[in-house]
Amino acid sequence: MIQFSQVAKRYPGGHEALRGVSLEVAAGELIAITGHSGAGKSTLLKLAAGIERPTAGTVLVQGQNLGALGETALAVLRRRIGFVFQDHKLLYDRSAFDNVALPLRIAGAGREEAGRRVRAALDKVGLLPRERAMPVALSGGEQQRLCIARAIVNRPAVLIADEPTGNLDSDYARSIVELFLSFHQVGVTVLISTHDEATLGRLPGRRVALAAGALVPE
Amino acid sequence: MSTWARLHFQALQGAFGRLAEQPFASAVSLGVLAVAMALPLVAWVALHSVGAATAGLDTEPHANVFLALDATDEDVKRVGDALRAHPESASVRFVSRGEALAELKATTHLAELLAAMERNPLPHAFTVRLRSADPARLEPARKAWAAIPKVDQVAADFEWATRLARWIRLADRVLAAVAIALAGAVAFIVGHLIRLQVVTRREEIEVSQLVGATAADVRRPFLYFGLVQGALAGLAALALAWAACAWVAHEMSALAPVYASELKLVFLGPIELMAVLGAAAALGWIGSALAVGREIRRFSRAG
Repeated sequence: MIQFSQVAKRYPGGHEALRGVSLEVAAGELIAITGHSGAGKSTLLKLAAGIERPTAGTVLVQGQNLGALGETALAVLRRRIGFVFQDHKLLYDRSAFDNVALPLRIAGAGREEAGRRVRAALDKVGLLPRERAMPVALSGGEQQRLCIARAIVNRPAVLIADEPTGNLDSDYARSIVELFLSFHQVGVTVLISTHDEATLGRLPGRRVALAAGALVPE
Repeated sequence: MSTWARLHFQALQGAFGRLAEQPFASAVSLGVLAVAMALPLVAWVALHSVGAATAGLDTEPHANVFLALDATDEDVKRVGDALRAHPESASVRFVSRGEALAELKATTHLAELLAAMERNPLPHAFTVRLRSADPARLEPARKAWAAIPKVDQVAADFEWATRLARWIRLADRVLAAVAIALAGAVAFIVGHLIRLQVVTRREEIEVSQLVGATAADVRRPFLYFGLVQGALAGLAALALAWAACAWVAHEMSALAPVYASELKLVFLGPIELMAVLGAAAALGWIGSALAVGREIRRFSRAG
């Protein structure tokens, strides 16, 4: 599903976020990426989602080589991957419903079809009663759920979450983790980064540890 | 509806929605654009009205040689030969009295008056195209022709018409320069308005790109916004120009009978109206394309 070989990512300015990373993620797998902040977790996830391109090595996502894709093809690839951002990336000038509808609107979905899918996504994360609410009126946990609803509204085969339980109290964190587990159970490939031990403890499956931009041998 | 059509329809709908969101600001910017477009339109109408009123004037250097009313066919032949043989004449055209009368009836409102006459009051005439408009060369020729027997009069009064045509051409060119400058201004104004829009919607653009919007997806709503603004401003400009012309035409219609009935305001025809609207929409599109292209490139560098 996702294949990294000898991947390096150097940002403009010289910071090397990843080096020599090789990793294979099978379809339907659940993987937890661990490491301190600054270890390169976010960069790894962004590469897997086609948000960034590698500066060296190759990243294959669903058989497509990110380095070889044009801007448009890369954008279209991103539609097939759900991404839950660490800083949510919600739009505060529109309702919860419209935030979740954004990916569908971009893909040109019809109004009725979009409405049905947005409500299904909101229902899945338990925010259906709040579809008219503006993001500022939602709690931190609810904003996180809204971000998850937006990530799953296109029914992606891959769901990637960057520190989804950061800044959340343990009850809320547990319910978020359970949400991801339920996606994993229906066959979605899930990548989650975290540096929170409690979250890690609830995640079955493989662990990948990063330190200073490189994989830590198991 | 296909996905492609839906994306474009949504962008168009969104453009009107954004204009309606801030009605006052939208009205002000449309007003500025409309005035900028209306100025050359009014000038164009004025110029073409003058052009239409003077289109019948012969502006090439020429002289009219009128024969005496009692000139016979033989006289006509003899005078014609003499005129053709003259070194200053480039070509000679004979206008018979009958032709002259018919032409006068057709092009002026004197038909009734002419019909009331028992005999044709007009003489035979020749129109001589001259090799030069230089008065120094014209004058001897004029004298020589006037001296031919049975020639009644030689008129070479084309000079003012030539001068008028030259003024109209000059005004046309000035108008074209002003129109180009104002078209540039319209594109820049739209571009500036769009740039402000892009900056205020920076977050939306960034998030859209993260969840799979292509460069075309990001550009589309702004291009439609520019297009709609251009087209609406064009419509308003046409309304403004029409109102200004109607106001002027009212005064002119009072003057017209004194001078010539040909003097009237010629407003734009349907094809020209469509062309103006199309050009206005295109200017909006171009302005926003320039602005969005720049801003998106700046985003990608930053991100």
